[in-house]
Amino acid sequence: MDKKVKVVPCSGIGKVFGLMAREAALETVIELCPDTSETVCLAYIVTGDKEAKAKIEGCDCITVDGCPKMCAAKNVSLAGGIVIEEIKVLDTVKEHKGKQFGSPTQLDADGETVVNEIAAKIAKKINEKK
Amino acid sequence: MSELKVGILSCSGEECLGGTISRLATRKVLEELKFVNTVTLCLPLYLAGGKEERNFAKVFPTISVDGCDKLCAKKSTEKYSGKINGSVDVSKIIGNDNALNTKIVRNKDLTDEHLQMVDKVAGEIVKAISQINPDSYNGKTFQGCSCGDE
Amino acid sequence: MVENYAVLPCNGLDKSAGVISGEIAIKLCENEKNEIICPVFYRVTDAKYNKIAGEHPLLVIDGCPTRCASKLAAEKNLKISQKILITEEAKNHHIELNSGLRILENEKSLIEIILNGLNKAEAQHAQSSDENTIQFDFDYETFQNGKFNFRVPKNPQVYYNENDCWAWVFGNRARIGVTDFVQQNLSDILYFTPPEIGAEIDQFGEVGDIESSKALVALISPVSGEVVAINESLVQKPEMINENPYELGWVAEIELADFESDKELLIGFDKYFELMKKKVENTNG
Repeated sequence: MDKKVKVVPCSGIGKVFGLMAREAALETVIELCPDTSETVCLAYIVTGDKEAKAKIEGCDCITVDGCPKMCAAKNVSLAGGIVIEEIKVLDTVKEHKGKQFGSPTQLDADGETVVNEIAAKIAKKINEKK
Repeated sequence: MSELKVGILSCSGEECLGGTISRLATRKVLEELKFVNTVTLCLPLYLAGGKEERNFAKVFPTISVDGCDKLCAKKSTEKYSGKINGSVDVSKIIGNDNALNTKIVRNKDLTDEHLQMVDKVAGEIVKAISQINPDSYNGKTFQGCSCGDE
Repeated sequence: MVENYAVLPCNGLDKSAGVISGEIAIKLCENEKNEIICPVFYRVTDAKYNKIAGEHPLLVIDGCPTRCASKLAAEKNLKISQKILITEEAKNHHIELNSGLRILENEKSLIEIILNGLNKAEAQHAQSSDENTIQFDFDYETFQNGKFNFRVPKNPQVYYNENDCWAWVFGNRARIGVTDFVQQNLSDILYFTPPEIGAEIDQFGEVGDIESSKALVALISPVSGEVVAINESLVQKPEMINENPYELGWVAEIELADFESDKELLIGFDKYFELMKKKVENTNG
């Protein structure tokens, strides 16, 4: 079985927090942990397609959710992924009270700062699993 | 002005470039091209059973925007809300090689070439919306998605 | 005291969080009124634990985000009354768990915190059940705009001000909060600043505030009086206001100073519903 940790963001299109979830996941798999992690498309997993399920079933997964609906955490778990960490973007956002982060299309500097912090948390968890 | 609302259910997949282009093109249509009464629906939430998303797509015309030939958005709309009123397949617009390119990029690393792809796809989305609601573009600000008026 | 629960721990042996779940379940069931459900045995045979789960509210204790106990409950079609996730509790209380399976000092501290928390919550629930025979059964009328739903309680005991705050009046008290109009417009609410218990509030005075990344909104009390209770769960989870601003996201309870005077400046469901519809249409087009 593929030993890479699967990082699955919610990628919610309506909120800046969905964009942050997506960008944090990409930052992790592209820059921070390219050899030990990869991303999987949540929508594809949720279609129930067998090929999609096979990608995460029994694999260590880190989910990144932009809002309390927790779409990634719930659905990865239902599809058989072993969720080793549920990252909530809002937990990090709350540490930056009073700041604006951009829009669901484009992050500003504060948004990028939060993304980097979240990516670092994800990378830390991935490295602990090594 | 027409009161008809149009929903856009867009892919936002991270595994290949098509997902990134879908997402950005949909956002462009909503934000820059200033479509009124156009609502974006969150695909993972829709697939997972989000009532507001599914009810909207049952009642109002909905367009799917898919980043690759798996067509998650189109197939799921047909499955859960009935007929789809328009479908944009990004891989047909920018080519399969580009859409399925697994060299994923963050927003900050997009090139001019990527932005041109976004424009092309946005143009096709606009055409699809206009076929449903010719009055939809009148320069006013849009209504955001159910997650909040962003 | 936590009583009369069926307790289903994951009892996992993959990490200490699973062991903690089992330990908490054992301690809870030292009170004979609680019943423990063995997850391993339950997978093999249904009858014994189906009966227990049917007779008691179910408390599920998961060790980690894999949520094996919750999944088992779902498979058995059980209704979960309360859930605990050990790793989340450890994170919230800044406790680092060891990587082995032993219950050491940190793990003991966490167990004590969780048990105290459960007992405190039960005590508060019992107290409010004793003190308030009032049932907050909201009866909603819903207005839909696009895919946004705006609920407004139509109970006659509920009054509104034009700042989109509501008050459910019962006896000489009122429970207050914001309406769906506020939470929909704010989107994800990130911070809640409660009023002080004991604070004297004028009608239309500020009684705390809520903040999202979009805006900070001061809560304008529909009634005058003294703050006698706040919804403490909102301090940790202000997003409950988004989930349901009436049942889960109420803000405070006020002992009324002069409701007969206050009432003259408040509106009922009929007027507020129409007012809210206009506001929604003006905001969203």
